Amino acid sequence: MNSNDNSHRDSIAVEEALILAHQAFEGDQYLLRVGAPQIAASARPGSFVHITCDRSRPLRRPISIMRVSAREGWVELLYKVVGEGTRLLARHQTGERLSVMGPIGQPFTVHPQRPRPLLIGGGIGMPPMIFVAESLQGDTRYRPFAILGSEAPFPFKPRPSRALVPGLDDEVIAAMPLLDDWGIPSRLTSQVARPGCHQGYVTDLARQWLESLDPQARGEVEILACGPHPMLEAVARLADAFDIPCQVSLEEFMACGVGGCAGCVVEVQTDNGPVMKRVCVDGPVFDARQVFPAA
Amino acid sequence: MTTTTDSHLAVDFCGMTFNTPLVLLSGCVGFGEEYTRVRGFSNRDAGAVCLKGTTGQARPGNPPHRVYETPNGMLNAIGLQNPGVDWVVDEILPTLDFGETRFIANVSGSSIEEYQAVTRRFNDSPIDAIEINISCPNVKEGGVAFGNDPDMSARVVEACRRATDKPLITKLSPNQTDIAENARRCIEAGSDAFAVINTLMGMAIDIESRSPVIGNNQGGLSGPAIKPVALLKVHQVHQVCKPHAIPIIGQGGVTCAEDALEFLIAGASAVGIGTALFYDPLVLPKINLGIRDYLERHGMQSVMQLTGTLQLNTPAQQRCAC
Repeated sequence: MNSNDNSHRDSIAVEEALILAHQAFEGDQYLLRVGAPQIAASARPGSFVHITCDRSRPLRRPISIMRVSAREGWVELLYKVVGEGTRLLARHQTGERLSVMGPIGQPFTVHPQRPRPLLIGGGIGMPPMIFVAESLQGDTRYRPFAILGSEAPFPFKPRPSRALVPGLDDEVIAAMPLLDDWGIPSRLTSQVARPGCHQGYVTDLARQWLESLDPQARGEVEILACGPHPMLEAVARLADAFDIPCQVSLEEFMACGVGGCAGCVVEVQTDNGPVMKRVCVDGPVFDARQVFPAA
Repeated sequence: MTTTTDSHLAVDFCGMTFNTPLVLLSGCVGFGEEYTRVRGFSNRDAGAVCLKGTTGQARPGNPPHRVYETPNGMLNAIGLQNPGVDWVVDEILPTLDFGETRFIANVSGSSIEEYQAVTRRFNDSPIDAIEINISCPNVKEGGVAFGNDPDMSARVVEACRRATDKPLITKLSPNQTDIAENARRCIEAGSDAFAVINTLMGMAIDIESRSPVIGNNQGGLSGPAIKPVALLKVHQVHQVCKPHAIPIIGQGGVTCAEDALEFLIAGASAVGIGTALFYDPLVLPKINLGIRDYLERHGMQSVMQLTGTLQLNTPAQQRCAC
C-alpha cells in the first residue's frame, strides 16, 4: 500500500445490517444472516466481517463469511459462542440491526493449473470452505472436494452423499447437503462417532484421499484450509509431505480490522527472514509454508 | 457528511491550522492511509493524523497476543512495530496527501541519541509536526521509561528540540506521580505542546493457563475506562500550560462529541481519537457535528473559545479527594 496507488481506498463498507435470520444449533453454534448489500457485492471466499456484537463492547469481532447473495444483498455467518462478545451477539434477534464492516482481507485463490482444490474446514473454520465451494459451483474447470470436521454436532443435518469419492472407505458417506446439492462432494469427520462420518481427524481422511490419487492427479491438488491452529499445522505438514501447495486462513485477537493498529499479527517467514504480518489486511489467508515452515 | 470547511471548528495549534479539533492518535491509524479503506472515512474529517511510532531502525514488534478487550476498554502491547525512520520518510511520506489533513510524526527511541536522530530525520521532511513518545510503555531496551521521570523527560525533549524547528509535541504518561511537574520541565526544555495522556499500564490474566493474555505480559489500557483519569490529567497539565499559551491534545477514551467537549473544557485545544475508531470507523463526522451543535447552542463562534473554560466548584487543592 506504500505507493500512490489509491486502490485500497473505500474497499470496506460499514453497514447497519438488518438481522434476517438468526438460528441456534447444538454446541453453541449460530447461523446469522444479515442484510448487507455492499458487503455481499464485493466479498470473496476467505473475506471476513468485523461485527459489533453489542453496543456495550468496545471492540468488534472478526467472523468469516460463509455465504453471500449479491443479488439479494445478504451475508451469512456461522459462529460459535466462545466468549462474552459472541455470547452477547447470540442474544440479538431477527429484525434488530448490527453494525457490520466488510468485506475484509485477502481471499483464498484457486488456480486453474490446480483444478482439484481440497477444501478442509474444522469447526467454525468450515464457513470459508463453504464460500469457496459455492464460488466454484458449476465451474467445469474445477473438481473440488471438501472435508469438514467438527467435534460439536454439525450445524446441518448430514446425509448420505450422492457423489462418489474414490479412494475412501465405503462407510464414510455422510456429506453436507448444501455442497451435495451444488454437485460438490464432501465428507465429514469427527472424533465423536457419528453415522457415516469418519471417526478421527480431517487430516486422516485427506491423507487417505491423497494417497489414492495417481501422481498426475495429485499434482492438480491445492489445499485450502481454515480451522483451529493445531489442525492448520497438521494440514500444512500433510501438504508438505505430499509437496502440495496449501493456503490457510488464520485468526487472532483483532482491534481495528483495517490494518491501522497492527494488533492482530502473525509471524511469517519471508526471503528476508521472519516478519510480523497483520491477519486482518495482509491475511487472513496466508501461504501455509510461510506460517508453518518445514521442520 | 464532511465537516472540514466549517470555520467554527478550525483550531490554531502551534501555528498550524487544524480543520477540526480532532486528532487521530498514533498507533491507531497506521501510517495515515489504513482507515481510508473504509467507505465514508476521510482524513479530511480530522484536524491532524499522528503516524505510527517510528524508531531509528525497523522493529518487528511484540509477539501475539497484542490486543485484548477489557471492561470498557482494551489492552495493547504492539511493541513499536515499524519500518524505521528512513523508510517512513523516503517511502511513506511521499504517498500521503498533505492537502487532506496535517500529518504528525511520532518519534520513539531506546536512547536519547535515537530520539534525537529520528527527530532530525523528520525535521528534514514534509511532516507538519513531531510528537515525542516519551511515555511509550512498551519500550524495554535500555530499561528506561523516559516519560515516568521529569529529568529524563526533559532531557529527551531538550535533545529533540535541538534537532528540529517544527512544532514539538510531548506525549505525557499517566504512569507517574506528578504529571504537572513533568510538563513544567518539558516546557523549560522546549516543548511546544503536549498530548495528554498515553495509555495506563495494565494486565489481563487467562485463569486456565495462569498466564497473561498479552504476549508482552503487560500492555497499555485505552478506551472509555480511562477517560476520567485522562480528563483530570488534562486539567492538571493545563494549569501549567496556561501562562505559556502551550496547547494540549486531550485524549483518552473519547467516543462522542460530549466526551470531546469535556476535554476541551478541561483545557485541551484539540482532542485525540483512538480506540473509538475501532468501534465506529465513521465516528469523526459525528463528533464534529456534535461539537458544532454545541457551539451554536452556546453562541460560540469558535471551538477555541471553549478551551479551559472549566468552572471548578471550589478550589480543589484545599479539599481531600477521598
